[in-house]
Amino acid sequence: MVAFILRRLLISIGVFFVATFLMYVLVANAGDPLEDLYNISDPGDRAARIAARTQIMQLDTPVVVRYVHWLGDLLGYLWGAGSLGVNRAGQAVAPLLGLALSSTLRLVLLSTVLAIVTGVAVGIVSALRQYTSFDYTITFFSFVFYSLPIFWAAVLLKQFGAIAFNDWLGDPVVPLPVFVLLAALGGLFAVSLVGGRTWLLRGASFAGGFLAVAAVLLVLSQTDFLARPSLGPVGVSVLGLAAAVGITALVSGLAARRVLIASLAGAVVGIIIYVATLSVLVDATWPLLLGLFAITLVVAGGVGAGIGGIDRSRAVRAAVLSGAVVAGLGLVDWLMFAWPDYVANSFGRPIATIGSNTPNYTGNLWQTTLDSLTHIVLPSITLVLISFAQYTRYTRSSMLETMNQDYVRTARAKGLTERTVIMRHAFRNALIPVTTLVALDFAAVVGGAVITERIFGWKGMGALFIEGVYTVDPPPVMAFFVVSAAAVLLLNIVADIVYAYLDPRIRLS
Amino acid sequence: MTTTDPRTTAGEPGGPGAAGDSGDASGLSVVALSQGQLVRRRFFRHRGALAGMAVLLFVIVLAFSSIGFAGIPGWWHYSFTQPTPIENGGRPTLDVVPWLDGDGLAWGDHPFGQDNIGVDYFALTMRGAQRSLIIAFMVGVVATIIGTLIGALAGYFRGWADSLLMRVTDVFITIPVIVIGAVLGRRFGALPIALFGAILGVLLWTSLARLVRGSFLSLREKEFVEAARAMGASSSRIIFKHILPNSLGVIIVAATLVIAVAILTESALSYLGLGVRAPETSLGLLISDYESAFTTRPWLFWWPGLFIVLIALSVNFIGDGLRDAFDPRQARVRS
Amino acid sequence: MSAATPAPGAPAAEAPVLQVENLTVAFPTEDGVVRAVRGMNYAVAPREVLGIVGESGSGKSVSSMAVMGLLPRSAQITGRILFRGEDVLSMSPRQQRGLRGRRVSMIFQDPMTAMNPVYTVGDQLAEAVRSHSAVPQKVALKRAKDMLDLVGIPQAEARLRAYPHEFSGGMRQRAMIAMAIINDPDVIIADEPTTALDVTVQAQVLDTLMSVKDAVDAAIVFITHDLGVIAQVADRVLVMYAGKPVEIGTTTEVFSKPLMPYTAGLLGSTPSAEGTRAGERLRPISGAPPSLISLPQGCPFGPRCPLVRDDCRASEPELRHRGATGAALAGVAAGAPLPVVSPNHLAACHHSDELLAAADATRFFRAESEVTS
Ligand SMILES: Nc1ncnc2c1ncn2[C@@H]1O[C@H](COP(=O)(O)OP(=O)(O)OP(=O)(O)O)[C@@H](O)[C@H]1O
Ligand code: SF4
Ligand SMILES: [Mg+2]
Repeated sequence: MVAFILRRLLISIGVFFVATFLMYVLVANAGDPLEDLYNISDPGDRAARIAARTQIMQLDTPVVVRYVHWLGDLLGYLWGAGSLGVNRAGQAVAPLLGLALSSTLRLVLLSTVLAIVTGVAVGIVSALRQYTSFDYTITFFSFVFYSLPIFWAAVLLKQFGAIAFNDWLGDPVVPLPVFVLLAALGGLFAVSLVGGRTWLLRGASFAGGFLAVAAVLLVLSQTDFLARPSLGPVGVSVLGLAAAVGITALVSGLAARRVLIASLAGAVVGIIIYVATLSVLVDATWPLLLGLFAITLVVAGGVGAGIGGIDRSRAVRAAVLSGAVVAGLGLVDWLMFAWPDYVANSFGRPIATIGSNTPNYTGNLWQTTLDSLTHIVLPSITLVLISFAQYTRYTRSSMLETMNQDYVRTARAKGLTERTVIMRHAFRNALIPVTTLVALDFAAVVGGAVITERIFGWKGMGALFIEGVYTVDPPPVMAFFVVSAAAVLLLNIVADIVYAYLDPRIRLS
Repeated sequence: MTTTDPRTTAGEPGGPGAAGDSGDASGLSVVALSQGQLVRRRFFRHRGALAGMAVLLFVIVLAFSSIGFAGIPGWWHYSFTQPTPIENGGRPTLDVVPWLDGDGLAWGDHPFGQDNIGVDYFALTMRGAQRSLIIAFMVGVVATIIGTLIGALAGYFRGWADSLLMRVTDVFITIPVIVIGAVLGRRFGALPIALFGAILGVLLWTSLARLVRGSFLSLREKEFVEAARAMGASSSRIIFKHILPNSLGVIIVAATLVIAVAILTESALSYLGLGVRAPETSLGLLISDYESAFTTRPWLFWWPGLFIVLIALSVNFIGDGLRDAFDPRQARVRS
Repeated sequence: MSAATPAPGAPAAEAPVLQVENLTVAFPTEDGVVRAVRGMNYAVAPREVLGIVGESGSGKSVSSMAVMGLLPRSAQITGRILFRGEDVLSMSPRQQRGLRGRRVSMIFQDPMTAMNPVYTVGDQLAEAVRSHSAVPQKVALKRAKDMLDLVGIPQAEARLRAYPHEFSGGMRQRAMIAMAIINDPDVIIADEPTTALDVTVQAQVLDTLMSVKDAVDAAIVFITHDLGVIAQVADRVLVMYAGKPVEIGTTTEVFSKPLMPYTAGLLGSTPSAEGTRAGERLRPISGAPPSLISLPQGCPFGPRCPLVRDDCRASEPELRHRGATGAALAGVAAGAPLPVVSPNHLAACHHSDELLAAADATRFFRAESEVTS
């Protein structure tokens, strides 16, 4: 294992050097870095400016030498004392990168995780419902998302997700046609999800979905929920217990009483901790929240283990998951609590279109979190749209392939429940090839982030990169590239390890 | 070399050796269709692929016939370079909505409207579509040739070609296509677009090469290849006569997907100002030029975007249909 | 249990554990409806071994998958499958699941792919136990170890923690056998359990199967192409053609007196079966099996049958007892004893009597193939 990781690290370092060298040479030759200076009319000024820039950018030394210099700067930076070179204005790149790094990584990681979770889940359901209207709908939309030019989608999102949505929030009334349309969509969704075979069943599920959406919309608009959202202890409890039942259905099936009880107990643990801390969390800090989260998981797991009996491992899993879900619900509730203030602060236009944070914004943890969320929501949706399609398509076909495998038939022949057959035998195997997609897709997300950041005015690494390319200025471009290449290479190693963990046929040696 | 559906020919002791001896007439209808026939039949049953095919053909014909191409005049009466007086604020005259405030089906003078200086936007969009299609086509050709060649060498000979491919792929994986494309676009974007397309093609061959390699790796172990080798066939003969025809499915599908990726990559680069440059135009460049006009003259933004989606979507559907046709394993789930 | 009618061809001694009555299975496909099984009938007595043979595509696997409830939802199934007299097809899915792997279990052809590569062998065996009884993992693993011992896997304790890919083909098939018997079933369906194995281990695995069968007192439905194996293990044999049984009887009877040309052809093309003289080339039955979407008129074997007549094309023969009549009587040499067909030996052929009369039924195929080749 260690040997495997070391070997992979060595190879990756080699690849890294080759890639950075290629990149450096390419950027340095992408154009004439002095281009903009030729138009200066005063010959003396022109010569002086050209000389100055030539000196800063070391244009009189060969590219290879410049690359080696830059490598030295990079190593120094990694050592903790370098500047990562200077851009053509003579500014050190390292501080610029520092600012850009955190916002971009946040965007890219959030999008990747969201895309994996939603994409894999939808892909599985789509495969299990092959050739139903749900499957066809998902397939069609995956293709549409996959065919969207990312910049075009981003501009549309900015227009409709932020500008129009903020306008609407000012007076949140759902017009009747939209109301009917949304409810009808809910009905159709229910039909495709239930996958009923008779018209009666389809009609019933349509009515159910229609009414559910209509009811939710009505309640939302009647209770002023959008202006003052809140779950409250009651909401958290009800949703948490419902989630516990759902988790049991996934983990073991509802017939396993002990698992069900353990799962509910895990949710109760979460609810108790949530209620107990209601008074102290206004001034929460992240370490405090993480600590509470860990306590919740440990206690829930312990309770699950106590209740589990012969189903112990599944009981623990269900209890921990339920506890985690309740913790998440609590978080949402707190954020909702902070919402009205935040909206007032942002002059009634909460969904941001520019930047990764409101400049100079101060507030408690909940408010600053909301601030980041309202800034990141649209750029990350943009990025998710595109990867989502990849993950659903890939998972779907991987799942279809595993469902056709002999060992799935064997699992059925053993008399396992359909749930166990799918979750334990098919799903687990279907995940294996998906891990390789993660590493490949990540590079595409990074590329997409360059464009997304530009449209949403983030001062992220994408800006560093594009500016550098425009001005034929390698150090900023390389700063971006070092981070993205290192991230991709690391992710590849992680993917390999996960792959080997999921598939015992692969030996890590 | 035709491979037949295993279901129809699976041999058994005492049973017929192959489907070949089923010449008899009555009742013996288990005649193996040739691979080509099967593929065609499955493709034409794929409704999405057929629709994609129809849309793509329509867009191609529209783009090239309307404003003409390579000196041949088209049927559209406005040019994509000469402005005309702006009418009605440059609003599109196309009307396909007969209800609400629509006037029913109407094509009008400037169906897609006019741009800032009065150039007919339909002509401009068609020009952009032409350019984007040409670039995508060039990418498809170049990436397919390079990818097939390297993938075949790596898969067949393994050894150095394989290591090289894998290392190069590693390097390419670390560099997002858009990143290296941006750098190359900055350098070469002003070139004639076909050449620019070829350069993009040099970037996009890796995924194709990996697929071809995989296909070759498995085919080279098959009995018919062993047999050919035992009879002393040369490597090039084995590759071209025996393996390549059987990899065709993989290659065609991968090439289709590369074309879809190419359309999007080109438009993204042009949007960043690092791809196609004025005075040339492309769909991505049009969007970039008129992004700021979204609130005032949204049609300048909608039309080129719609065409990109239309082209990429239909190509993707065609690719999906081809994949199902060549590799029907997923077409039916056993349980 | 008492509702069970005595099945045709069944030894009347003990009530059958498994009965299949008029089972039909059809798959709607793009090209038309595939009628994979068109009326399957058999009964298996406790501890009995019933062999099923037939060409590829004759419906052997589909009919046994129907018994196991493993067919895809698209399959249209009619008829009755009685387990100890109770109709499986009318049970709730839950009851069906309770039978599957518990009372009726199955061994598949390819041991290389039949086990899940990502779980240890012990896990997969224990899972089979725990899906039918609420026992802790420890107990289930202990049972798994005992079963591995029983099927002759050395160091069973350690092997529990091994993954399937660490087993050889023969060992994997033994593990599959262990999985099949782990819940002490009444019937084991073995679908070509040795076909995918090395010739050298085939015999060992077969021996293992037969010995554990006795250990757990199970009946076996043994599907194979290999008549040699049938001769070795089966008490009775059922021959399938185009989705139907065309001959059934005790192994000795069917092998010595085939009453259906297809059976005779199979025997003629099998090296280990009697009737093949040394040095003679094997003659496969010429032609291909009929399309299950559009069957020919009359006897489905007609187009390939050397004895085909007009009446064969007119009506499909039913599976029933075929006594010594007509040609059979005429062909008997004066003074020789009349050929007797046991009441449980059934065949579906209009001209069984001709086969009965012939000294060596497989000769029809030899003559015919020599003409064609
Ligand atoms: N899901 C399905 N859809 C359509 N046709 C099917 C399906 N499953 C099986 N068949 C068809 O049913 C017929 C009988 O198949 P079956 O697998 O039972 O044959 P078999 O006798 O077991 O052959 P073999 O000796 O090759 O195992 C075949 O023609 C097969 O193509
Ligand atoms: S019924 Fe006729 S065609 Fe069918 S097997 Fe008997 S002799 Fe041959
Ligand atoms: Mg079979």
